[in-house]
Amino acid sequence: MAIVKATKTPERPAPISETSILGWLQKNLFSSVFNSVLTLLTTYIIYLTISGVYVWGFVDATFVAETRRECYDNSLTGACWAGVIDWLDNIFYGRYPREELWRINFGGILLAFWMAPLWITRAKGKVLVGASVVAFYPFLAGYLFSGGDKGLFMQVMVSAAIVAFVINMANAIAGLLKQQSIAQFVISSLGQTNAADKSQRNLLIALVVVGFGVAYLWQSSWTVEFVSWTKWGGLFLTLVISGIGIASALPGGIILALGRRSKLPVLRVLSTGFIEIFRSVPLITVLFMATTMFPLFMPEGFVLNKLVQVIIAVVLFNACYMAETVRAGLQAIPKGQAEGAHTIGLGYWGTMGLIIMPQALKHMIPNIVGSFIGLLKDTTLVSIIGLFDILGMLRSISKDIPWLGLHKEPLIFGAILFFIICFAMSKYSRHLEVKLSAGDRH
Amino acid sequence: MSKAQTHGQLASAISTEVMIEVNKMNKWYGSFHVLKDIDLTVHKGERIVVCGPSGSGKSTLIRCINALEEHQEGDIIVDGIKLGKNLKNLDHIRTEVGMVFQNFNLFPHLTILENLTLGPIWVRKMAKADAIETAMMYLERVKIPEQANKYPGQMSGGQQQRVAIARSLCMGPKIMLFDEPTSALDPEMIKEVLDTMVDLAETGMTMIVVTHEMGFAKTIADEVIFMDEGDIVERNKPEEFFSHPEHERTQKFLSQIL
Repeated sequence: MAIVKATKTPERPAPISETSILGWLQKNLFSSVFNSVLTLLTTYIIYLTISGVYVWGFVDATFVAETRRECYDNSLTGACWAGVIDWLDNIFYGRYPREELWRINFGGILLAFWMAPLWITRAKGKVLVGASVVAFYPFLAGYLFSGGDKGLFMQVMVSAAIVAFVINMANAIAGLLKQQSIAQFVISSLGQTNAADKSQRNLLIALVVVGFGVAYLWQSSWTVEFVSWTKWGGLFLTLVISGIGIASALPGGIILALGRRSKLPVLRVLSTGFIEIFRSVPLITVLFMATTMFPLFMPEGFVLNKLVQVIIAVVLFNACYMAETVRAGLQAIPKGQAEGAHTIGLGYWGTMGLIIMPQALKHMIPNIVGSFIGLLKDTTLVSIIGLFDILGMLRSISKDIPWLGLHKEPLIFGAILFFIICFAMSKYSRHLEVKLSAGDRH
Repeated sequence: MSKAQTHGQLASAISTEVMIEVNKMNKWYGSFHVLKDIDLTVHKGERIVVCGPSGSGKSTLIRCINALEEHQEGDIIVDGIKLGKNLKNLDHIRTEVGMVFQNFNLFPHLTILENLTLGPIWVRKMAKADAIETAMMYLERVKIPEQANKYPGQMSGGQQQRVAIARSLCMGPKIMLFDEPTSALDPEMIKEVLDTMVDLAETGMTMIVVTHEMGFAKTIADEVIFMDEGDIVERNKPEEFFSHPEHERTQKFLSQIL
């Protein structure tokens, strides 16, 4: 017999156990006697831990004191944060001259402004912003932090960085206020219409050249005092090393990964060998090699400073790790994508740059940020070879006469600092993932 | 009922100009001999349907014509250009020969419009506005202009395949190759893709189609090729091919598929 249903079955609301908080509690926390006991027990343990930390870290803690002795006089069972507070400048800036600290802060603020468009959804040309930061900011910051005589090269790069910064800012402002790029804005405010026209492109280039000249003249009029790298330290040094590591690991990793997948045997063997050697050696070994062995191979009289050697080691090491991450991402892209790209006539670089890489990088974001977080934490190893990065500084507190033996509080403070930075990175990566997966709904 | 089945045989305008010439072509995958002494001539405006059991080498044949696969012996001459190691020739061939895949191979990170304009802008160096205009024209032709700003993952399989056809057409190809374009589709979507292909055939495009849609073959094919184990076993006009298959292997295949 045939069955025909003439009416649609109406939808009904879900049962209360699926939607209410009480229903959730019952389902997840108190579903059986055993689960209820576990829930109560766990809650009690969490309460003990948190209340213990709260009493030690806040209620009984000493925040103002001259020496560790005074801390004890105040309270024997509480934390002695006074030592950490007393050393705060050292923890953040190392032994950088106190009257020159504005340079580091200014450099940080500059970077924040330069990269701000990356966080603003409506801003256009994010790739250009990122590329200009990586290409120019290190020179500007490098001079700002180390100071001294500017060579011709430094003068040129600093001027270029200033021009790039100004263009970026102008571009972001024009984009937010007028929904135009700065090129379109300049062209249209000069009463012209088409920015793609050749004569107008020349006009824009002329403007940039004039801007460069102005920047060059301006920067040659100021200098900042020389600060030796041996005075760099603390969180500042950690961020310098890991910042350069992060900025160069990804491009380096992409080049190595492409080399490893190349059809040219020589390139492939070289890349593979390079990656495998660095990956099979601990970072601390690479650091020792860079600081003690590397100078032996150099011609006599050729002295690189230790910081540069350390940075090179960190960059190479992390580029190799990144290469494997990138390779995994590339392999996850189906072969059909490359074939599709070939059939519309794209060559190797077009296929890689427009089709494969954008998709692969998107899949790789969690892994890439994972490596970046690892890199940031790994840089603390440089304290072993005698650089006073944040960990080195935190551990020095216990050797300072007034605070002799103060180990716990500085390290806990360091852990909190690292947690804040790493957690922010991880959150940002999650945000990027969600934003970039807009087209991924299958 | 599909347009492909109701339409009746299309009139074709085959010229004497040779578009594709394959001479004594052989191909191996490792030690496995996939294509054996293939000879094939396709004239301008000719529409060839290739069928045969899986593993017979039909997909490999058209992938060789598009230089997605290398052949080891013999010649393939497409639009007067001989395929070989010369990379410049390769890029040129690929812009002249459009290809539609079973799995569409659209770019999931780009919108439909970006999928269509990518080739014209980056390979043909077309101005962006012109490329968009061309793309919209072809989207009209495959009847989904309203989807231009969606991503491929938001569309049905049939729509994606029509986008893939439009993407190839945007490059202005002289030859279109189809590698089982309807095999990955739900039955309800096959019709819309076949109709698009029939429309394309009506414009006089040179086409080689690997498919098992026999109704479609009867409608548009000038000739049907049957392949088995790397050989072209039989080649004939569709009416002859379907009513009086000569080769025993063809008869068996047709009795199972029809």
